[in-house]
Amino acid sequence: MVIELPARPRKAARRKYKPPADPRFRIFIIDSGWNAVARRVLRHNFALIRRLHREELIYLLSRKKSVEFIGRHRSLIGRDPIIAVHDLKAMGGRGTAAFHGFHLHLGILRTPRQALVALQTFAHFVGTHRHSRNLEVDIRTGLRREGMLGSVEILLHKVPRALGV
Amino acid sequence: MLDRFGEAISVVLGALALAYLVYEIDRRKRRLRDLFHVLGSEEADISGELLSMVESGELQPYSREARA
Repeated sequence: MVIELPARPRKAARRKYKPPADPRFRIFIIDSGWNAVARRVLRHNFALIRRLHREELIYLLSRKKSVEFIGRHRSLIGRDPIIAVHDLKAMGGRGTAAFHGFHLHLGILRTPRQALVALQTFAHFVGTHRHSRNLEVDIRTGLRREGMLGSVEILLHKVPRALGV
Repeated sequence: MLDRFGEAISVVLGALALAYLVYEIDRRKRRLRDLFHVLGSEEADISGELLSMVESGELQPYSREARA
């Protein structure tokens, strides 16, 4: 007796995208493409960002739109790829008049390793701070801590080398 | 004479090392703040334009389906 297994039904059309119900952040990716190193790291590791799209709103600006946008905001020249994060909770209260998010300026980094570490740090931060009560305090505390760690690193590595120890 | 000269060299080198240390720490802090740049009222126009691009429908949220 031969039992025919039912043919595996082909997956129906992909489910339609539903925007997240309660996003905390709006994330924009602006990249004119001038920094090939950072652009490549961002493209190859886009999964880190994609993972966030179920809970947060992500917007990708095309290369053309990014060039035009940066042209209108010249303080951003040389800083893209930029990942702009808007904190919707902070913006709900005061709009853009006070703290309302942060930018990750990947374009100021020169090596793939630096860009990857920054991207990983960013993805981890956004993923773990969506319920933050005060994002501004969290960011500033994190920056202070990193600054102190950097100072300790200099003291431990650069000074002994400079002194020939 | 040589002792005093040696001392002076040591003091100068020590001061240079300290100055380099302060400069390097400050440089790294500035770089970190530039990498993770906190948005305030100074960036209101930049954020406002992104917001209006969303509100006008010029930008649509990313979805895997749309990219597939």
